Amino acid sequence: MLTIDAKNVDFYYSDFHALKNINLEVEQNKVVAFIGPSGCGKSTFLRILNRMNDLIPGTRLTGSVLVEGQDIYAPGIHVDELRKKVGMVFQKPNPFPKSIFENVAYGLRVNGVNDKTFIEERVVESIKAAALWDEVKDKLKKSAFALSGGQQQRLCIARALAISPKVLLMDEPASALDPISTAKIEELIYELKKDYTIVIVTHNMQQASRVSDKTAYFYLGELIEYDETTKIFTNPQHISTQNYITGRFG
Amino acid sequence: MKRFLEKLVEGALLLSGSITSITILLIVIFLFKEASGLFNSPVIEEGYVLGLNKANPVKDLNSYQIKQIFDGEITNWDEVGGKEEPIEVVRLSDLTKYYTEEELGASFENIPSKASELTSKHAGIILFLPKEYIAKNFNGTLLNHETLRPGDFFGGKEWYPTASPSAQYGLLPLLLGTIWVSLGAILLSLPFGIAVAVYLAEIASMRVRNFLKPLIELLAGIPSVVYGFFGLVVIVPFLQESFKLPVGETALAGSIVLAIMALPTIITVAEDAMRTVPRATKEASLALGATQWQTIYRVIIPYAKSGITSAAVLGIGRAIGETMAVLMVTGNAAVIPHTLLEPVRTIPATIAAELGEASAGSGHYQALFALGCILFLITMVISISIEFISKKKYN
Repeated sequence: MLTIDAKNVDFYYSDFHALKNINLEVEQNKVVAFIGPSGCGKSTFLRILNRMNDLIPGTRLTGSVLVEGQDIYAPGIHVDELRKKVGMVFQKPNPFPKSIFENVAYGLRVNGVNDKTFIEERVVESIKAAALWDEVKDKLKKSAFALSGGQQQRLCIARALAISPKVLLMDEPASALDPISTAKIEELIYELKKDYTIVIVTHNMQQASRVSDKTAYFYLGELIEYDETTKIFTNPQHISTQNYITGRFG
Repeated sequence: MKRFLEKLVEGALLLSGSITSITILLIVIFLFKEASGLFNSPVIEEGYVLGLNKANPVKDLNSYQIKQIFDGEITNWDEVGGKEEPIEVVRLSDLTKYYTEEELGASFENIPSKASELTSKHAGIILFLPKEYIAKNFNGTLLNHETLRPGDFFGGKEWYPTASPSAQYGLLPLLLGTIWVSLGAILLSLPFGIAVAVYLAEIASMRVRNFLKPLIELLAGIPSVVYGFFGLVVIVPFLQESFKLPVGETALAGSIVLAIMALPTIITVAEDAMRTVPRATKEASLALGATQWQTIYRVIIPYAKSGITSAAVLGIGRAIGETMAVLMVTGNAAVIPHTLLEPVRTIPATIAAELGEASAGSGHYQALFALGCILFLITMVISISIEFISKKKYN
């Protein structure tokens, strides 16, 4: 079964036709990178996958998006249940103004987990999975704002992992970070692939080629090309894709 | 030229800043200076003295005791630390009970000697006379140099500035009245105000918000006397009816009117604070599967906590300092309240109502300024303590 299966998706911000007839499938435990110039719709499409665009008034979607076989835009779907299954990491680290521990425990708590020992175990596991444990193990009670940007972003990943999602959406997760933190995040993505299906939006071509199995190139609201990453970067079928990845525009 | 202009602007800013600070300082100094005279003012009416029999061991009466003696509430000297002896109150007018008009003299020239004689004869006497009727060789003890003690003001249970011979400047009824009314107001308006702020900031659609917000802000501009009138015409009769009270002008009526008045401030400030919560933080919560309500009470309210506390402080400040509306609906009885359904009188209402009739420099006048100081101290303590609390939680 496909983890994500989008069929004939059209998306509008009021009058603006932001995505045009997108068809895209993602298999389990793969990393898919979305690339394309600014405003091409890649972030919009990412946010469709956990219905984050619902928060913006005046948006409209046609077509269907299936996550693990279930149409997430069908009536009667609980958005909070969906978002439990499809976690998200944002462009800028956005920890809560709480302690490191509470940041990671938050997702569990809002989902009704009260078992103290379970929460503790899960928090430690998640922080370890996000490769942050050695740096924060002595200061779990400290404010999350005391961490560096890269650490905060890994904390946000740990936070997303704590509720055991199936899919992890990453919206340019390393764009606000220094090269060393970026390298750590990329390494982490590679590790996480074993357990999660990952969709990552990136502006960084090298990053896309390093971390992803498949790459989707968006341009002006259309999905121009979607194929194995190696193929996209060595032998693109469209001239537009080629121009973009070779840096001629974008 | 440009540099000169910048210096000029900088100077002007510095000047306005220092003028403001100096003004505030001057107001505070003025307030406390006027108030400090209170404890130098005599316990009994200016120009009068109290005389006791020489054998009476009582040398010291406080303001409240004097009032009770003259009101007939204390009738025996043993109640104020003296011997077992009934108290005999003698005012100037009472002298005619003891002496005929001939004895006192055509132009009362004999009063000093007769008063002296009377005092020496009656063991339980307390004589209250103007100073000029006291003979040089007065045969008794005089209690004329007593000044008001801090205890009479801070611990005084009665506010009765026109009482004779000893005016009562007891803080307690007014302080408690203020606290009851303000506390009631804040208990009513804070939950309601925060609820409306949450609704406006997070739930209401753009259209509803754009309609409601200016409307609420408009409420803040209505003069307080209009609120008072509204309270008098609507809330007071309503309370009287629904609680079957003899009078509807109660602390509760004051609380309700104040709550309505404080709402716009609380709503506006709290809503602004909640709207400063970054979109990214809200999205982070929602992306973790939190519902909208969970996001509101677990992320938005904690994030906006300092803004909400300042909303509360501003609301309390308004409630404590508000004068006119409260004056109109609380019934203005300066007695210590036991329930919210009794008439009370607040500190600001007392100042507003009585300053006009208090002669400048009198004890009454100084007592009103002392009330002003108390009000100032209360608001200061509240804002400092809340600032302290919110800072502590933030770290």
